[in-house]
This record gives sequence, C-alpha cells and structure tokens, in this order.
Amino acid sequence: MPLLNVNSITTGYADMEVLTDVSIAVNEGEIVSIIGPNGAGKSTLMKAVFGLLHPWQGSITLGDRDISRYSPFEIVAQRMCYVPQVANVFTTLSVEENLELGGFTLEKREIDAAKERVYELFPVLKERRRQKAGTMSGGQRQMVAMGSALMLNPVLLLLDEPSAGLSPKLVDMIFERIVTINATGVAVLMVEQNAQESLRMAHRGYVLANGENRFEGAAKSLLEDPEVGRLYLGG
Amino acid sequence: MSEPGVDRPADRGAGAPSPQHDDTDDLAMAEAPRRGAGKRITALVHSRVGVIVLVVAIFFAMWLLGGAQPVATRQLLTLAVWGVMLGGVLALGSIGLTLIYGVLKFPNFSHGALVAIGAYTAFAVMAVLPEGPRLGPFSFGWEFLAALVVAMPVVGLVALAVDRVIYRRLRNQNAALVLFAMASLGMAFFLRSGIYMIWGPDFHFFYQGRPNPALNLPFNVRVQADQLFILALALALVLLVYLLLTRTRMGKAMRATADNPQLAQVRGIDTERVIAWTWVLSGALAAAGGAMYGLTSQLRPEMGFWLLLPMFAGTIMGGIGSPLGALVGAMIIGIVTQMSAAFLNPAYGPAIAFILMIVMLILRPQGLFGKPGG
Amino acid sequence: MIQEQWVKAIFVAIPLVLIGLRLIRLHWALRIPAAAACGFAVAVLLVAMLPTGILAYLVSFSIMAGIYAILSLGLNSQWGLTGHLNFGIAGFFAIGAFTSALFTMSMPTGLLANYAKQAFGLEMPFLVGVLAAAIVAGLVAFLIAIPVLKLREDYLAIATLGIAEVIRLAFQNERWLANGPQPLRGIPRPLSCLVEDPACAWLPDSLATWLTPLAQRDYIFPYLVIVAVFVAVIYVALERISRSPWGRALRAVREEEASAAMNGKNVASLRVQSFVVGGVIMGIAGALYGPYVISISYSHFRPLFATFLVWVMLMLGGSGNNRGAILGAFIIWGVWSGTAFLADAITPLLSLISDDFASRSPYLRWMLVAILLELIVLYRPKGLLQEQKVVSLFLPRELPKKVPRTKT
Repeated sequence: MPLLNVNSITTGYADMEVLTDVSIAVNEGEIVSIIGPNGAGKSTLMKAVFGLLHPWQGSITLGDRDISRYSPFEIVAQRMCYVPQVANVFTTLSVEENLELGGFTLEKREIDAAKERVYELFPVLKERRRQKAGTMSGGQRQMVAMGSALMLNPVLLLLDEPSAGLSPKLVDMIFERIVTINATGVAVLMVEQNAQESLRMAHRGYVLANGENRFEGAAKSLLEDPEVGRLYLGG
Repeated sequence: MSEPGVDRPADRGAGAPSPQHDDTDDLAMAEAPRRGAGKRITALVHSRVGVIVLVVAIFFAMWLLGGAQPVATRQLLTLAVWGVMLGGVLALGSIGLTLIYGVLKFPNFSHGALVAIGAYTAFAVMAVLPEGPRLGPFSFGWEFLAALVVAMPVVGLVALAVDRVIYRRLRNQNAALVLFAMASLGMAFFLRSGIYMIWGPDFHFFYQGRPNPALNLPFNVRVQADQLFILALALALVLLVYLLLTRTRMGKAMRATADNPQLAQVRGIDTERVIAWTWVLSGALAAAGGAMYGLTSQLRPEMGFWLLLPMFAGTIMGGIGSPLGALVGAMIIGIVTQMSAAFLNPAYGPAIAFILMIVMLILRPQGLFGKPGG
Repeated sequence: MIQEQWVKAIFVAIPLVLIGLRLIRLHWALRIPAAAACGFAVAVLLVAMLPTGILAYLVSFSIMAGIYAILSLGLNSQWGLTGHLNFGIAGFFAIGAFTSALFTMSMPTGLLANYAKQAFGLEMPFLVGVLAAAIVAGLVAFLIAIPVLKLREDYLAIATLGIAEVIRLAFQNERWLANGPQPLRGIPRPLSCLVEDPACAWLPDSLATWLTPLAQRDYIFPYLVIVAVFVAVIYVALERISRSPWGRALRAVREEEASAAMNGKNVASLRVQSFVVGGVIMGIAGALYGPYVISISYSHFRPLFATFLVWVMLMLGGSGNNRGAILGAFIIWGVWSGTAFLADAITPLLSLISDDFASRSPYLRWMLVAILLELIVLYRPKGLLQEQKVVSLFLPRELPKKVPRTKT
C-alpha cells in the first residue's frame, strides 16, 4: 500500500477549479517528482495534499488515515512536512528559532537532537544559528526551510520547487541533499520546474498539465518517453 | 534587551548578503559617501535618529507656539516623570494592540474599550471586597491587587469571546481588512454601551476622596507613590511579555504567526490556538493598563476611546508587531503628551500624540523598530 | 382637506416626485408626469391620513435621514469609489457645520458678546454658507490627503479617526473660534421668512397669502424640500461622475492600483481628488445640519453619530452604490430612531432587573446598532444593493451580473 495516496481529487480556489480528478501515490522511501508546465496546478496539488486547500471531491490518505479534512498542523502531527516555494522561512526569527518552530510539537530534548541532525546536514546553519533568516541568501534560506521541515523526522517530505531562483551550483547542492535525506528513509514528493534534473534523481514521476494527470511512470521511462520529452522536457 | 521579531543591524556581522534588509540608519552612515547630499539627507530624516530629532523639534515648535513662556525646569522634570508613568500605562495597551496587529493584521479599534472594561471590572471586584488597610505609602489596599488579578483574566476572556463570535468567522470567510476594522469599530461601541448599561454614565473612583499625597523625589520632582507602583508594575509586565515571547513555546509561535501565518501552519503550529492566546494576553494587558489608569484618574465609559489614539500612536511609533517598539513608542507618547501640558492647553494632549504618529507614519511607516514593509 | 394641509402636501410632494423620477423607468416624456402624479398623490394621502404630530415627526425624520444620506454619499465617493478608509467623517461634517454657521450668522452684539464668542460672523446668504462649507471642508480634505493618502488603508483609518478628534478638540477648546465648549446658537434658517408673519418681501402676494397657514414650527416642510434638492443634486452628480472617465479611473485605482498607474493614470492625484470630493460633500452635509438644529456644539460631532452611524449606513446600503448609500441612510436612521421607542418599550422589563438598568435604556440603542453592524459585516458585507458595474455613460445601465471575484 502506498504511503501517500491522492485519490482522484478535484479542487481549486473559491469557485475556480484548478485540479480535475488528479491521482498520485508515493510509496515509502521513494522520491516522486511532479513536473508540468506553468499553471498546470503543481503547487495547488501540494497545497491540497498538505491541507492548505481541501479537496472538493476525492480523498487523500496518508498511511491508513484519511487526511482530506485535516488542517496543516494535524498533518504535521502525522509526520508529513512541507517546504513551500516562497516565503518559507520566518524572516524576523533567527535560524535556530526557525528550526525550533519546525519541531514545535517536540519535547525540549528531542528538539536539541533534531537540531544537531539538521546541522549535520547543513553545517553552515550551525555557524549562523543566531542570524535572522531574513538576512540570509536564497540558498541558505532554502536550507533553513528544508532543515525546519526535517526537524520532525518526517516520513514524507513535500518540496515545492526547491531549486527556484537558485544558481546552478546551489541547485546541484540542494538536489544532492535531497538524495541524502531520502537515503535516511524519508520519502520525498517534489514539484519541479527543473524537470530533467529532478527526474534524474527521482524514482518515479508524474506529468501534470491543465490540472489533469497526463503521464506517470518510472522516472527513467518518463525521461526516455519521446512525447514527454518533446512536450515537457524541452526536447 | 534584544528585541524579538525584528532585524537587528548587529546581526548582520556575518557578512551574508541581505536581500530584504533595509535598515536606513545603517545605510545613512555606511553608504553616505556614495550618494548625493540630497539622498543622504532624506535617508537621515527617515532614520531612527532622524525621527527622534524631529520629534524633539516638533516638541520645541510646540513650546514656541505656546508663546515660549519660561517654564520652570522643575515643572518640566515633574511632567516628564509623569509622562513616563502615563507611558507605562499606555504601553500595556500598545503592546496588546501591537500583538493583535502583528498576528491578525488589523487595527483593533475596540482595544480602548477592553482597557475600559478592565478598569470597570477591577472597580466591580473592589466594590464587593472588604476595604483593607492601605499598603505602605500607596493609596490602595490589597483589594486593588486582588481586583487586578481578577480583571486580567476576565478581560482576556472577553477579548477571546469577541474573537470567537466575530473575528474568527471573518477569518474563515477570508474577509478583507476593512471588514475587520469595521467589526472592531462596531465592537468598540458595543462594549462601551455595555459599560454604560452596567455602570451608568457617571464617573467612578476606586477610592472616593482618599488622600494620595505626593512624595518628594530628588530634583524637587513630586510623584505619588501610586505612580511609581504603576510604572514598576507596567515594566514588570512588559518584561514578562518579553520573556514569554522569547523563551516560551507559545511566545515563539506567536512571533512566528505574526511573521508568516501560513508558514506557521505549515510548521505544525495550531494558529487558531496561537490567536486565542494572543487575544487573552492582549486583553489581560489591557485590563492591567485600565486598572492602573483607574488608580490615578476617574473611570468614565469613554475613557477607552480617549486612550485609543495614544495607544495607537505608541504602537505605530514603535513599529507594528514589535513589543519593545510599543514600549518605547508609548513612553515617547506619554512623555510628550504630559510635557506639552507645560505650554499648551492640556486638552490637546491626545492631539499632540496624534501629530507625532502622523509624522512617524510619513517619515518612517515601519516605526522605530518595525520591519520594513511590515 | 384644509388649506394648511394642501400647502404641506405640496412641500411633501416635491421630495416624493424626486424619488419618483429615479424609480419610475419610463421615457422622460412619460416619466415626469407619472412621477409628479404619483408623488403628489402619495403626499396628499400622507398629509390627509396622518395626524399632524406624526406627519411632523416623519418630516423631521426625513430631514435628518437626508443629511445622513449626503454624508453617506460623501463617504461612498471616498470608500466606494476609491477605497479610502475614512474613519473621520465627523471632522468634515463639523467643519462644514461651523464654517457655514460662521458665514451666515451675525457677530454677537451687546450683552450677548460677553457670553458668546466667535471668530467672525459674515451674515452671508445660506448658499454662500454652503459654498464656504464645501470649500473649507474640501481644503482641509486636501491638506490631509497629501500626507495621509500615501499610507496603507489601515493607517489611513487610524489617521482619519485621529484627525476628526483633533478637529473636535479644536472646536471644543478654542472659545474665540466658535464659542468653544458652549454651543453656537441662532444659526439663521434659509427661507425662514416663508413661515413668518410678514412673509418674505420678494414673495408675490398671492403666494404669501397661500403660505399664511404655515406657522413657525412648520418650517421643517420647506426645509425638507431644500435637503431633498441637495440630496438629489449630489446623487445625480455622483452618478454622472461614476460613469465618467474620471470615475472609471478611480475604480481602476481601487481595484488594481499598479495597473492603473501603468496605464498612465496619475494614481496619487486621483486618490487625492476623490478624497477631496468626499470631504466637500460631507462639508455640505454639515452646512445643512446647522440651520436644522439651530445651535451646534462640538459634542454633536462625536464619532458615534457622525462617523460610526454613517459607516453602518453605507455598509448596509451597499458600498459603491449611491442608491444604496441613500437607502442605508434612511433605514439606519429609521432603526436608530425606532430603537428609541424600543428602548422606551422595554424600560419596564429592564426595571424588573434593576432601576438603574431602566434609566440607562437609551444606551441599549448603541448596543443594538453595534450588533446590527456586526451582523452586516458577518452576513451581508456587500450590503443590500451591490455595486453596479457601470462602465460608461453610453452603455445601458443593466449589465450582465458580474462574475463573482475569486478572492476579495
């Protein structure tokens, strides 16, 4: 049984339908990448999975729990964490405080342990733990954001365009860390503009277009699919 | 005391690029040589130092307007000390306002009414308690302290109840800011009419006709013991709020929610609970402010509305969302309001506070300690 | 019907005809006679059926509601058209009232001069007073607008609330200006000679004789006509404005300030203009208020009566809709006046709880109006009449229902 199962959901904002009958699944320990053109509804799907929007139809299950009506904080308690694309750090709080808030539901002792784990993954954050997150560079912010999401030692991590706005070198670094995180047993569901790169490290992939499922399959087969390549991977 | 919720220039030492940083006073110093003189002056005027200089200049202009009479230094000093006391009371209201403004992003026009309800609740509690002996040099007995302890949670719960009935529904509807502002204005009148209904339009005093002699402090400053008590208690409460915001889990969650409500949810914070506690805290602080104000003046149903503008002024001077800013802002407002009485009709006190607020809004909308654009 | 009633009926008919002209949807050639006939018929019925006291009450009620309608229209031209959150209506209202009073009154002389102080008294005609009120209120609005309109809308609300308080404090404390804490008494009433015994000198004899049955206390009848004409003129002017290119530009500023700016509109100047227009209209309302109540003082311009009620009116009627502004003014003024009876009615009930409660029943009205506002905000935030998406004078009024916006 998949860890996360999005079961033909339809949803949107107010009366504007964005997603129609979309289904995806993430198995334990997998990296799944969702690609698709701008406006395909990728970010909306992430928000729906994370309870920032509720599905109008269909259901979302995590493990054996139906989380369709859960609020984000209830979802976090199920150890699924989310890194939004923008505004993903508390700019007026220090790095350390950002991390502590990531582990909001933990005991003091567990927070310290979790912080150490994150510092191991992103050593630069330890050096700058007293710095306000708002004064950091884009790449460092992304690290703070991912680090905060890792504080709860999640079973599933949702990443919304982790490479957006970063230089190629930083993109490589972030992708490399995603693989490292995955290696510790965290399943990852990510949305990416950078389709080629993300499919290369993913196990499986989905192509969304116009708010509907278009293609799905093993990442490798999507990369090799001529039609996917022509339409969504830029040749 | 370091300020929660604010970019401090000192934090920039690490040398990272700071894309969102806009601390103009630093810029005024560091980048001045590279800019034209005009820009340098503009930057200086918009900096913290510049604003404070301007406040002093306005103050001086008021003195000139008042006919530049010779004012006894002793009198000015006494007024300044009184201003600090008033500032302490205002600060309790301003901090509540700034917390609500920061977390819920709307100006709570009913905050003054909460202050008034706090004062009246304390009055009601004191009316049922037996009157004890005076405590030391103060004019009040233990029953005042008991009333304070009762009034704070009561008003906190009133604030919470209003949120549950009105503002939470508006939040669920994703209502526009104007509707929150309107609803809070309506609440101000609702709560005030509640005071009229229960306690009537007449003045009330905590202690009818009890003498309250002033102490003689050094430099011939005359202050009542009560006023010193008010200041000490206000500062103690402010310190408590500061510790709460920086040290406790709920405090950090409040700052996080003020910073970015959606991200706070994403991080697993139950923002509705945070909002509830913010209301309770700001209501309790308002009640303390009201009860303390009642020690030195009479209670009237409109007192909340009179205090509202100075409290807003303090909040905006300090920068919305910044509790330390609210404290400093309220102190400035309190001092200037009181000192202006030396050469202007004291009735204009609120007007002076208000003019300071407008000047601040124009020169430095983010306030002394607020985050830019916030 | 006796002659007195016919005279009153004519006066009552004029506002009704004006309403008829707006409501009856016929070609103009038919609309004018139809409105005249209906208006007159209703007026005759009202005058004939109602006891004198109730008729007088209704007329006074309509005068105040009409003055509130003007305030509400003024607010609509700021909030509805451009989105200015003006919580300082009382300030402009006060400036209008005091300005026109000072322009039309005479300086106190003799013994009175010891008790009543005022900056000047120009003994100008009523319309000059209205004009002066409009100009001064507009000027103050302009001076306020320059620094304050740059601010975010929530700051604007706080700032305008404060400005209104400062204005009120000034009128309260500056004795030389308008008698300070004491009321300014004896504001002259326009056309009051219509109901006085030697009637106005310029009036033809036949008309003067015809008007003789009216006593001093019947002055409210001609005054109702004056207020109604002002409401009508301001309404028509605002309707034309909102259909003009200028009105379109203002709405563009309200909806999408950035794109309005990119389309070459001078956003800052447009915002100031609409604020000033609103201030002018509120000033005119003040000029109409003074002669009606004869004596004014700072205490009339508290935020409850002069700001809060107006907002409730516009919110109920429908922001952005001028008809809604007028409708809201009448309904809320009706509720406000009606709650006075309600408060009287429940006094015995309250006295069961405590005698104190009974004597405080007037304050229940505030509570009821506040509750009403909360209900509007929660359940009917767009008001009774929603904004019409009028685009141009040259397009038909009824456009297809607007598509609900995704986020507001």
